[in-house]
Amino acid sequence: MKTISTLDFDRVTPGQTLPPLTKHVTVEQIRQYAEASGDRNPIHLDETFARSAGLPGVIAHGMLTMAFANQMVTDWLGDRSLLKSLHGRFAGMVLPGDDVTCSGSVASKDDETRRLVINLLVSNQRGEKVFNKGVAEAEFPATKEQ
Amino acid sequence: MTDARWVGRSYETAPFDVTEQSIRDYMAAVGDLREDDELIAPPTYAMVYGFDAYWQLWTDQEVALDVAHLVHGEQRFTFQRPVRPGDRIKTTGRLTAINSRGEMELVSFELKARDAEDRLVSDGTALFIIRKP
Repeated sequence: MKTISTLDFDRVTPGQTLPPLTKHVTVEQIRQYAEASGDRNPIHLDETFARSAGLPGVIAHGMLTMAFANQMVTDWLGDRSLLKSLHGRFAGMVLPGDDVTCSGSVASKDDETRRLVINLLVSNQRGEKVFNKGVAEAEFPATKEQ
Repeated sequence: MTDARWVGRSYETAPFDVTEQSIRDYMAAVGDLREDDELIAPPTYAMVYGFDAYWQLWTDQEVALDVAHLVHGEQRFTFQRPVRPGDRIKTTGRLTAINSRGEMELVSFELKARDAEDRLVSDGTALFIIRKP
């Protein structure tokens, strides 16, 4: 089945910003993510263990933060199948109670390959980067005329 | 410091059967709830079907990574095609490097996920950081 994107590639302009996405992270969400992903590492679930490992307490999975960045991009694209790559650094810890905001902008657009490169950043409520050097690539299907 | 002789060791998951429930549980957990005409997994679901490869590395008693002090430093994915209920995916992970940077140890892990027809579904690169105790 051919997928139809809700985003019109031809109207995208380099430098354009994506609608930001803010998430409030809770202990319950971290537990739910541990169950859904299978990653039950005690640094995410056990407060005593996390502290003994030198952490301020349980921390969110880095992959939960990356999932937020993924969602910001695919919500904007309107089609999850257009995302071709995702990359970034987990620059800081995310703790329960944090509000993290994903932001992104179009770094480049290639009309030949119909690919977009999008720069991504996730920051917490203090403005500290928790996910940086983020890059997503999206590819749009060829138009019928081509 | 982890012994560098383990570089090259690889781990393979059992076939992971993608179900609608598993995708929906993941979507609910991360809060990515948009409904499309056809259910496909959010791309970062690659961490779910590939997870056991990571787990095997972290719990390998011979390699003996100091997992209590291990954090995820960096992650890259490339996606060859969307993942849907009914897919059966096997992921192979390979320990590709162990380096030190200051007091930290950096562990690189490369993954390839293939479907039942042995076609590439996604690949991934993870960098783990082991902090000094």
